[in-house]
Amino acid sequence: MSKPEYVYVTYIETTADTLWRALTDGDLTERYWFGNRIASDWTPGSAYRFTNAGSPTVEGEVIVFDPVRKLAHSWIDRKPEAAGESASRVTFDLEPRGKVVKLTVTHDELGEDGRTRRSISGGWPMVLSNLKSLLETGHVIEIAAPSCSAKDAA
Amino acid sequence: MPKPQFVYVTYIETTPEKLWEALTSSEFTRQYWFGAEVNSDWKVGSPFALLLDGEVTDSGEILEADPPRRLSYSFKHHKYEELRGEPTSRVVFTIEPFGSLVRLTVLHDGFVEGGKYLGAVSNGWPAILSQLKSLLETGKLLGIPRAALNKGFDVK
Repeated sequence: MSKPEYVYVTYIETTADTLWRALTDGDLTERYWFGNRIASDWTPGSAYRFTNAGSPTVEGEVIVFDPVRKLAHSWIDRKPEAAGESASRVTFDLEPRGKVVKLTVTHDELGEDGRTRRSISGGWPMVLSNLKSLLETGHVIEIAAPSCSAKDAA
Repeated sequence: MPKPQFVYVTYIETTPEKLWEALTSSEFTRQYWFGAEVNSDWKVGSPFALLLDGEVTDSGEILEADPPRRLSYSFKHHKYEELRGEPTSRVVFTIEPFGSLVRLTVLHDGFVEGGKYLGAVSNGWPAILSQLKSLLETGKLLGIPRAALNKGFDVK
């Protein structure tokens, strides 16, 4: 059996070029990724970093940069609650399918203790639901922080 | 070892009532479920069928129906020879208000280890649920090629 991995597939009405830009441009990630801006010089081996209001949240190394098909980078969560989690890996595969793009996000090399898996399993559906809505409707959907909105909704 | 299952979560800008209708109305499902029509009176214990071009492709029984929060049915495949031998599985839809959105969780379980059905289902649901989200948010469909549904076992 392979090591634990998380896979999420979504189909988005957009072009591979636009989706690629949405994954690699900090002005765009900030809009659908809950304020997280990505930055890198996007050369394999280079560092990349997500910052939120100036503080690093996730960082790592660019592993694959193959526009507009495949992007892979390591994933080190810098948030205090993630202290001690090992580095994992995220791969985005973009496949045009007629007038939509199939996006497959694979988050693997997850630690056996399940901590990273638990935290990212909740996050990816939110980020990717937001990304799909932004590219299809031009606006993000209002996904609030889970704890407050669960209370608001009750 | 975890049991083989498929779980998919998506956030949709809609209401629980509209999402419930989208899951239980054949006029709706025909649009986003690649032509498939659901057929049931949605009462616990009643039969459930999924039809494509008038032919029953999958059938089962309503296990839970708590509108607009939770819907569950058993699911036995009939169309493809390769999948007919697989046991009856189960689909559970959980609809939760999430601020101004709805969180939809689809759980499909009851698979055998090493079977082909889980692969087919894992290919199909993301395409169906991507269309459902787009239909509810934009009022139009994506036009994902129908082949996206079958690839799980056809192309191997």
